[in-house]
Amino acid sequence: MRNIIVLFLILVTYSLYSQEKGVFSGAFETNANVFIRDSAINAINTPQYDRQFFGGEAWLNVNYAIQGFNIGARFDMFNNSNLRNPNDSYSGIGIGRWFVQKTIDKLELSAGYLYDQIGSGFIFRAFETRPLFIDNALYGARVKYNLSENWHIMGFAGKQKNAFETYTGNVKGIRSEGFVNLGSDEAPLTLAPGIGFVNRTISDENMAGVVDALRTYLDEDRFSPKHNAYLSTLYNTLSYKGFSLYTEAAFKSKDIFYNPFAIKSEIVGSTLGKLEQKSGSVLYGSLSFAKGNLGMTAEVKRTKNFNFRIDPNQRLLRGLVNYLTPLNRQNTYRLTARYSPAAQDISEMAYALDVRYKFSKSLNLNVNYSDITSLEGDRLFQELYTEVIYKHKRKWQFTGGIQFLTYNQEVYEMKSEVPLVKTITPYIDFLYRFTPSKALRTEIQYMQTKQDFGSWLFALTEFSIAPKWSFEASGMYNIQPKKANSKGDIEKTLYPTLGIVLFNDAQRYSLRYVKQVEGVVCSGGICRLEPAFSGFRFAMNTTF
Amino acid sequence: MQNDVKMKNIFISILILIPLIFILSCEEIPLVLADPLIPESDKVVLIEELTGASCPNCPKGSAAIENILNKYPDKVAVVAIHGDFLASPIPNRSKYDFRNKKANDLENWFRPWYGKPAATTNRILTDDAQEPYTISSPDLWQAQVENELQKPHLLNLLMDIKYDSLTRKMEVEIAAIPLVELNGNYNISVYITESGITDAQTNGGVIVDNYVHNHVLREMLTKFDGDNIGNNLQKSSILKRNYTYTLPPESQGLWKASNIEVVAMVSRSSSSDRSVLQAVVKHLN
Repeated sequence: MRNIIVLFLILVTYSLYSQEKGVFSGAFETNANVFIRDSAINAINTPQYDRQFFGGEAWLNVNYAIQGFNIGARFDMFNNSNLRNPNDSYSGIGIGRWFVQKTIDKLELSAGYLYDQIGSGFIFRAFETRPLFIDNALYGARVKYNLSENWHIMGFAGKQKNAFETYTGNVKGIRSEGFVNLGSDEAPLTLAPGIGFVNRTISDENMAGVVDALRTYLDEDRFSPKHNAYLSTLYNTLSYKGFSLYTEAAFKSKDIFYNPFAIKSEIVGSTLGKLEQKSGSVLYGSLSFAKGNLGMTAEVKRTKNFNFRIDPNQRLLRGLVNYLTPLNRQNTYRLTARYSPAAQDISEMAYALDVRYKFSKSLNLNVNYSDITSLEGDRLFQELYTEVIYKHKRKWQFTGGIQFLTYNQEVYEMKSEVPLVKTITPYIDFLYRFTPSKALRTEIQYMQTKQDFGSWLFALTEFSIAPKWSFEASGMYNIQPKKANSKGDIEKTLYPTLGIVLFNDAQRYSLRYVKQVEGVVCSGGICRLEPAFSGFRFAMNTTF
Repeated sequence: MQNDVKMKNIFISILILIPLIFILSCEEIPLVLADPLIPESDKVVLIEELTGASCPNCPKGSAAIENILNKYPDKVAVVAIHGDFLASPIPNRSKYDFRNKKANDLENWFRPWYGKPAATTNRILTDDAQEPYTISSPDLWQAQVENELQKPHLLNLLMDIKYDSLTRKMEVEIAAIPLVELNGNYNISVYITESGITDAQTNGGVIVDNYVHNHVLREMLTKFDGDNIGNNLQKSSILKRNYTYTLPPESQGLWKASNIEVVAMVSRSSSSDRSVLQAVVKHLN
């Protein structure tokens, strides 16, 4: 690390004396939570509620570019943070990322902690999703060569980042992408093909864990484990006039993964979940069409045995080398986003259709349907979402619609003997501008359901004074409760939020008092179950 | 255009060559799944399992424990800790509530951990700072036990129980005899566990009403983190401790004397080392 700081200083010093001036850029983000214990909503029994009372995070990125060099570093701080494990506390401070990149003519060389992906990420994606403590950067080296203006080839090798350390397994890969114009000016037909290969080698240390596990298996569940997995993907975007067709087929050789749904034989009876070594595949297609006022997107995805980790002993969101695109609509309203499905990597068949129609400058319609089952046909998720947006000049805007949803809590949240959650959620969002700078926005949503927590009512009002201030108050009310709290009572509970947001040029500050029900939190299509929250949340971010 | 044709050729070459390289290099020498050699000794390892009636994956942990007991009989003592997380009784299904204060204290004492099931073997430290004492994959517990059984035997722990079935009073006499000089502070912990309790248990997506719960921690005769038994222990010295306890009346299938076991263990007692030296387990009857 010291070498990187020295290199950084050399470059900065060099830039002071050179003709060309370098460019500094950066970003800062911080969250600070004050935890206030509230047993009525199960905001209890974590170190933060019991004794720490405070938890927060901060990230500072600094990048510097000069004469084809691009170098950067990121300071990370986790202070009694609940991001890594929502039920526990994590602290760590250090350099979370550094990288050096140099472009020499057609060659681009990079080393350090790198973010990149192949295709949609089915076989490899090194990325960061801070709200879920995902920082799957590749710690290694990457060489990219631009064969021509439209074609490039890229190779990489390294290890996957694990907080301030790295996993011990190795990953390497290659990607080539291009662009071909086969049509004419009148009928432009273009192709953007790509191909990628990835190899992951399990470290001896991690393999010892696999062997230790397999030794406990009965003969019928045992297999001879392999260190290496080989993955390939072939993808292409075909565009013709208003049509765009993206297709991708990814395959994985026999690889070790933990299947939580597989039946493991025991000396007496059986249990659920075991290591398996099987090949897998993901097939994905997305057809988009846009003409005039109509826009449509149809998607289909089939996933089989595509859990791909740097270490098969890891669980949940840890050690994932790849990323599986979710097909369902990424909703933003509180209640319509309450039940979000995480992409299933063992067995999933998903379809989605999104239709948008612009009746006029003022009136837009969006209908979205998604349907997800297991490959065996078990219902996992189904959603019909409608949205109408009406804009009346610049004075007011109405957004409204209804969502019909079915959600398999047993699979997505591992809850036992719970029925499918079925919800009907109408919602409205009304924005009124008093003046060009002052506006009032009101949201009302009602989720009708007989399952899980029962029905909810949510209301929000937000008054903004552009460009600086925004004030908000909201409440989520368990209007027909079904679930007992930690005291064993079934009570109608209000989860209020009061907040104030200040924008100051590129800076954004927010302070909120929050009571939040437990639920699934999704970010970038990846979801996990989060406990209830009670307390204050401060957030700040800026770029420079 | 000509350039693009050339590029297309390179692309197609990659398409053919790379899979070939992968295929040609993918033969591995198969690994052998051999059990380790366990030396003959009187060492008994303690497994403290974090579990709960509402925990969907915990039956997998219990099955792993039974497999270990089956493979290494008389070498392992087990305490199943129903603390707080996912340990509440299943509404309208559970007859009993296995939670108690000391179980809760122990569960919290082993934090942080990722989830349940989780188990600590002899309270040795793992390599994972996020789960320093426990391992949440039951598949790996047996290997931990084997690692511990391969370590030198440092202390003998003897236990004698006198139980009066009329008064339900038991007298527990424990003697610890170091086999080497042992520096540092040492604690003794004594647990009362109960097996053969039939009650509801979440298992994956279903609730099993007639699930048999074993090794359930019902009470401790020491503080949850143990009582001091001595410091800088001399080789061959005899450290004795006596405990008395009266079992609560048998009621609704609980506190059956025939299902009760007493587990005792001696552990190091420092802020950085809680490792267990030796455990002993005995049935009441």
